[in-house]
Amino acid sequence: MTSPRGLAPPRLTLRQRAVAHAGTAGLHARAQLAYRADFVFRVLWLLLQVYLLALVWRAVYPESGTAPAHGGQQVTLATQLAYVTYASVQNWLLTPAGLAPTPIPQRVREGSIAVDLSRPVAFTTQMLAAQGGIVLAAAPFAVLALPFAVVAGGARAPASAGAASAYALSLVPAVLNALLLAVVVSMVSFWTLEAVGVFMIHRVVAHFFAGALIPLWFMPSWLADLAQLLPFQTTTYTPIALYLGHIHGTGPVLTALAVQCGWTAALWLIMRLVWARALHRVVVQGG
Amino acid sequence: MSGPIIEVEGLAKEYRRPVRVEGPLGGLRSLLSPRHVTKRAVDGVSFALAEGELVGYLGPNGAGKSTTIKMLTGILRPTAGLVRVAGLVPWRERERHARNIGVVFGQRTQLWWDLPLRDSLELIGRLYGVERARHRATTARFTELLGLGPFLDTPVRQLSLGQRMRGDLAAAMLPEPRILFLDEPTIGLDVVAKERIRDFIATRNRRDGTTIVLTTHDLDDVERLCRRIVLIDDGRVLYDGDVARLKERYAPHRRLVVQLADGAGWHGVRVPGVARDDEADDAPGQVTLRFDPAGTRVADVITAVLARHEVTDLSLVEPGLEGVVHRIYAARGAA
Ligand SMILES: Nc1ncnc2c1ncn2[C@@H]1O[C@H](COP(=O)(O)OP(=O)(O)OP(=O)(O)O)[C@@H](O)[C@H]1O
Ligand SMILES: [Mg+2]
Repeated sequence: MTSPRGLAPPRLTLRQRAVAHAGTAGLHARAQLAYRADFVFRVLWLLLQVYLLALVWRAVYPESGTAPAHGGQQVTLATQLAYVTYASVQNWLLTPAGLAPTPIPQRVREGSIAVDLSRPVAFTTQMLAAQGGIVLAAAPFAVLALPFAVVAGGARAPASAGAASAYALSLVPAVLNALLLAVVVSMVSFWTLEAVGVFMIHRVVAHFFAGALIPLWFMPSWLADLAQLLPFQTTTYTPIALYLGHIHGTGPVLTALAVQCGWTAALWLIMRLVWARALHRVVVQGG
Repeated sequence: MSGPIIEVEGLAKEYRRPVRVEGPLGGLRSLLSPRHVTKRAVDGVSFALAEGELVGYLGPNGAGKSTTIKMLTGILRPTAGLVRVAGLVPWRERERHARNIGVVFGQRTQLWWDLPLRDSLELIGRLYGVERARHRATTARFTELLGLGPFLDTPVRQLSLGQRMRGDLAAAMLPEPRILFLDEPTIGLDVVAKERIRDFIATRNRRDGTTIVLTTHDLDDVERLCRRIVLIDDGRVLYDGDVARLKERYAPHRRLVVQLADGAGWHGVRVPGVARDDEADDAPGQVTLRFDPAGTRVADVITAVLARHEVTDLSLVEPGLEGVVHRIYAARGAA
């Protein structure tokens, strides 16, 4: 027995929960490898995207090889091509392949949600761990694809040692925010099983406002302002802009990192709120 | 601990379902001003289970069995009434409650579809905070008992229904829960697979003292496993008690099937309380008699038959649960 008879067991300890979530992530990562062939096509799709974007940027860039961005900074073509390459790869890694952002809609449809609710760990963290595993499985493919993407697009070393460490730091909230966004959006399926349209809109909006197609620095300023207000830029634009030194100086770098972490906290709260409503639907109305 | 391990009192569950508005723009109108229908799936159910009991929770399709199980497992919150399982209110303390219980929903699986069965069983250990060595030992034991060995490395999606169900049962029992909820664990299985699963269930109950609530439409499961049943219909308890007493109450009669020798005629027997069973489907030369063993001795009936007839075969038929339940469902339909 896990506890003496007659005594209700306590919740799992933090350590036990960490083991549970790591196990969930590992299992979902392994499950992804069943679709190895699919990864090959997804990598080809990524390389094609990088190639086409680079083609366009080379064509539209001024003869001088630099273009003015917001705030008067000059962006060289080399930097722009490196941005397109890195942003595409990172966004590809953080964006799952299926139409739905996470396995949640499928679990709701099949009723497996009942199984998830009978586990001794919270549903939301189970799903975050599962999604984390799915992203983890794609990581080796992203690393393998990177050199080819560099050939198709471009590359640049980090602007400085500081830029490199800022990038590394910013990657943590970037990944967390991507996972949280995916979980929050896919919880729509607790309200409607016909959420495909919602997911498609989310996909386009997230892709665009993350800066995966166009960096925020080249967006019309009202659009860039809007992007700054949304959480999506923290997953892709912020880390790459830090790496390339487009965001530089102690103040702006710390602000960028703080905004990312602020979104992590906010998205966590939003997820809890949405889940509270969703759970109410499941347990009170029977789904 | 004394007192029941499962207490259910006045339990009720209403489902509220939006109905589609008919007519032009029906979909949009349903979305904007939804109308609802309410279905009372469970309507004032009460019972109590002592630790170590194995009870059959029976009822026709749509009676509210699965709904009750979902409330007992914390997946649904009751509309009214009280549930307490091992001292906890399931829906309120879901995560703690989950450590006390194992669940099998026969209609779906808790295993991970794309991966070998082994991986699912391993993750169960981690999810429930089971200590490594202990989990390994339990897995080995259940693998042996349920014969999982040959397909441990097969992806779950490729398992046959019987194999998958055995895997699900192992998964539910691996954390060694105090209480096991089984919602149709033998659905769609062949006799051999059923027997294996029944054996496993019986052993967990007898040897480990696991309290088990079993839902099934296979009354052989019940005859084989349960001493007590709770019979519900339309969300209410129709009967709660011994299987044996249920039979006495609803089918007090025994039957004696007499096979007459070739060409011999039937001349009747003059024993009070014995009558020809007009519901019986007698073959030529066959006669079925009906009597209540409480008032009439079996030996007297047999002696009376043999005294006046040439007989090649005699068989005494006990009432089966099947017939009893059939009778109860039919009576309900007529009422
Ligand atoms: N999510 C739901 N929303 C609305 N009504 C539901 C829902 N789930 C079940 N019901 C209704 O509640 C009633 C009881 O269903 P339940 O699944 O508990 O029956 P059951 O006894 O398990 O039946 P079966 O033997 O067919 O499995 C049925 O009338 C069913 O249609
Ligand atoms: Mg059912």
